[in-house]
Amino acid sequence: MSKYETYLLNRSGLADSHTLDVYRENEGYQALEKVLKGGFTPGQVIQLVKDSGLRGRGGAGFPTGLKWSFMPDPEKDKRSRYLAVNADESEPGTCKDRVLMDEDPHGLIEGILIACYAMRVGAAYIYVRGEYRHSYDRVAAAIDEARRAGLVGKDILGSGFDCEIWMHKGAGAYICGEETGLMESLEGKRGHPRPKPPFPAGFGLWGQPTTVNNVETLQNVPYVILRGADWFKSMGTEKSPGNILVGISGHVVRPGVYELPLGLSAKEILDDFAGGIWKGRQLKAWIPGGSSTGFLPASMIGVAMDHDSLKEAGSMLGTAAMMMLDETACTVRSMEVISRFYEHESCGQCSQCREGTEWLHQIFRRLEHGQGRLEDVELLSSLASGMAPGKTICALADAAAIPTHAIVKHFRDEMEAHVTHKGCPLRGGDDSTSARKQVEVNA
Amino acid sequence: MTKITINGREVEADPKRPLIAACHEHAEELVPMYCYHPGLTPVGSCRICQVEVKMGEMPPRVVVACRTPVSEGMVVNTEAPGAHDARRQCLEFLLKNHPLDCPICDKAGECDLQDYSFSEGQGEGRSVEPRRKLEKRKSLGDTILLDQERCILCSRCVRFYEDVAKQPQLTVAGLGSRSVISTFADRPLHGNYQGNIADICPVGALTLKKFRFQARVWNLDKHPSTCGECSRGCSISIEVLRRREVKRVRPRYDKDKNKWWMCDHGRFAFDRFNADDRLVGGFLRGAQGLEPKSLERVFDDLAENLRRKGEHVLLVSPWLTVEEGELVRDLAQATGATTRFVSPAADTDLRDDFLHTGDPCPNRRGLTELGFEAVEAADVSTMLAGATCVVLVGESVGELVTPEALAALPRSIRLFLLDTRAYAAPALRGALGVPDASERTGTWINVDGHPGRLAIAKAAPDGVPPLERSLRAVQERLDAGAEVRA
Repeated sequence: MSKYETYLLNRSGLADSHTLDVYRENEGYQALEKVLKGGFTPGQVIQLVKDSGLRGRGGAGFPTGLKWSFMPDPEKDKRSRYLAVNADESEPGTCKDRVLMDEDPHGLIEGILIACYAMRVGAAYIYVRGEYRHSYDRVAAAIDEARRAGLVGKDILGSGFDCEIWMHKGAGAYICGEETGLMESLEGKRGHPRPKPPFPAGFGLWGQPTTVNNVETLQNVPYVILRGADWFKSMGTEKSPGNILVGISGHVVRPGVYELPLGLSAKEILDDFAGGIWKGRQLKAWIPGGSSTGFLPASMIGVAMDHDSLKEAGSMLGTAAMMMLDETACTVRSMEVISRFYEHESCGQCSQCREGTEWLHQIFRRLEHGQGRLEDVELLSSLASGMAPGKTICALADAAAIPTHAIVKHFRDEMEAHVTHKGCPLRGGDDSTSARKQVEVNA
Repeated sequence: MTKITINGREVEADPKRPLIAACHEHAEELVPMYCYHPGLTPVGSCRICQVEVKMGEMPPRVVVACRTPVSEGMVVNTEAPGAHDARRQCLEFLLKNHPLDCPICDKAGECDLQDYSFSEGQGEGRSVEPRRKLEKRKSLGDTILLDQERCILCSRCVRFYEDVAKQPQLTVAGLGSRSVISTFADRPLHGNYQGNIADICPVGALTLKKFRFQARVWNLDKHPSTCGECSRGCSISIEVLRRREVKRVRPRYDKDKNKWWMCDHGRFAFDRFNADDRLVGGFLRGAQGLEPKSLERVFDDLAENLRRKGEHVLLVSPWLTVEEGELVRDLAQATGATTRFVSPAADTDLRDDFLHTGDPCPNRRGLTELGFEAVEAADVSTMLAGATCVVLVGESVGELVTPEALAALPRSIRLFLLDTRAYAAPALRGALGVPDASERTGTWINVDGHPGRLAIAKAAPDGVPPLERSLRAVQERLDAGAEVRA
């Protein structure tokens, strides 16, 4: 077991952890009761979440309490209000929300209800990644159970507070995990992100005030309510308090989802929890938080896994989905795959992203297959600068540009070796004949 | 109004419109645009309109002007190096898969992709990748051809059907680099407003089948004029090749009438301007039937006939201008003739809530204000029974009355035809060519009372005098005769 205090995954090992009974036996719905019956005003709940320093776990790390406070005053703005729960979990490498929804669906429901109470929202929509059929069924069953117990619907726990929770299955588009793309998709449209402003708090779902929160973020909320801001801040770092679910995958001995305080060094997570690199090999490169955060070299494995430390290191915490590559892996090949993903998933609205993601992929493919030119390295870097930051409607272009910058910065040698070897040196070099075939086929 | 600074000048901007509108109004330098169109909802997707904006003490940021609201004290620099850089980079991406087939593209010369590449682009492509291969000749119905390779996916056409025509028919199908413009379920486009999407297409992706390979646009002379197909009287531009042939008619922005748009019925009606069976010169009936005569002889004869006692009728075309109408009214006063304008049957199936009024008389209001009453084309024969001298005046009036009705007029009527075409009729005593709407100046008053000017877009055929001159010549003869008699 972990030497660090845990809470998020405490129930997930228990038998029938997804049921209301087991949930109730283990602190379940006590936070909701405390809020609804303990005389908490919505403003006090928001203040408590603000005081805890909880930051969003969806990737951007925005302070949750602050986000909630952006919702307009319901006295002045009489429009309907919504909470959209982002359970799309589409960033490659990420698999944390799935564990929570499968093992602890009532924790999500309780978090949603408290968030809705704080923002005086009457309806929440959970947007679940389409492939997560099991998670969907688990959460849907839990909502039914909770509704029967008077925890969802009208007059919750006799407090007069009404809140409905609906579920929606995504259809497999990465871009629907972007908050405005998610809202468009929920409305039944193509998942095209909306330009901001206007921001969701003013103009969200169906044009009404809306907040979008990640599953893991909401699962933290009941604990903050129950145990207080000081307890929460006792874990993690000063600016990134609390625990986070780290999904570690790739060439490690024990891949999996671990609950760890923010700010541990990546090396500690790799060695002490994931069991180190497999087969006795050496670490070559690693990704700290999902494919969009880019490769870091093995020399940077000592960096602390929190929002600010990784930002300083030129990367991002993202969804804390760590991916480890051993010495036999090729970063260029990996970027060929990653860039193909972003080309495939670009929604196509913005010129730079639609054309740029395709272009990046074409260049990485050429490099990997022996058709690279030395000037391609500079070209990649220049194209990535043309795509991001902040040049497009949403951050998908950034998600393709950041790992491109990262590989040029940290693995330039390997890229150039692909040019001089006319192919991947790890696969024995000259690949130009077969590559030409492939490029022609693809053209 | 909101006070902002654009390129060093303090200006007043409309807070309801995006920053790009203020830039276009106040900056000398043009902020480029593809997806933005003043008549459509801005979506901010092409990203070409990036400008530098500074708010208060915050460091300047490069933003897309079409999705940025103006706010008090905003300092805008459209020419900042950062903004130019962003636009240059954006253009490189847009051009990466563009086929660059400008030499065979109908849009070349009026293409925003060409224009901004000259003003903002870097001159050289860095891509060695094969360009995207897509359908180059996809028919979207009878009017429009789509070249998917040229398309830059600005979605103006999609939004035109959603926002303006209010009949969504187009969409962006596919995702990312596989996106293409498509109709729903590949059905052909329908409706009377298809041509507009070729106008607003910033590149050569949507072209008019009728204009395909017809002319290089820089060889077209563009003349501001007014559409004569219904009483909306949309402001248009008549585009003429080598001073002879009308090749294209396009809408011209008019805030009171048609904004940026026009209907296909009006757009494609220009073939009649190119008709080669025009009535040219003057004719009078002689021993050999209708014989060519000098214009003077025709004026003399017409004046002579109008001077005689009898029931005279001046029947005019609904395309008569206000100026021509005044002269006809004077003639009627001098001769005691009855005047009417021929009103063709309403185009009820073309009438809609947008532009087309369904009334084919572009100057109904102007002629009515001059005192002309309408006569239904079908009732003309009845009305003319018992007339002594009948003068049909103006473009296409014979066609409206119908050649059959003209041929059936009794010989007791002395018929004069001042028209763009001639018709065989036993009653016909004289005929004289007149210019069509692309060959004369004048004014039509539309259904809402807004005037629309006609301009000479091309020369009338040799031997066709301006109608106003012909009418004045007849009037002068009548006046002179009256003096002699006095």
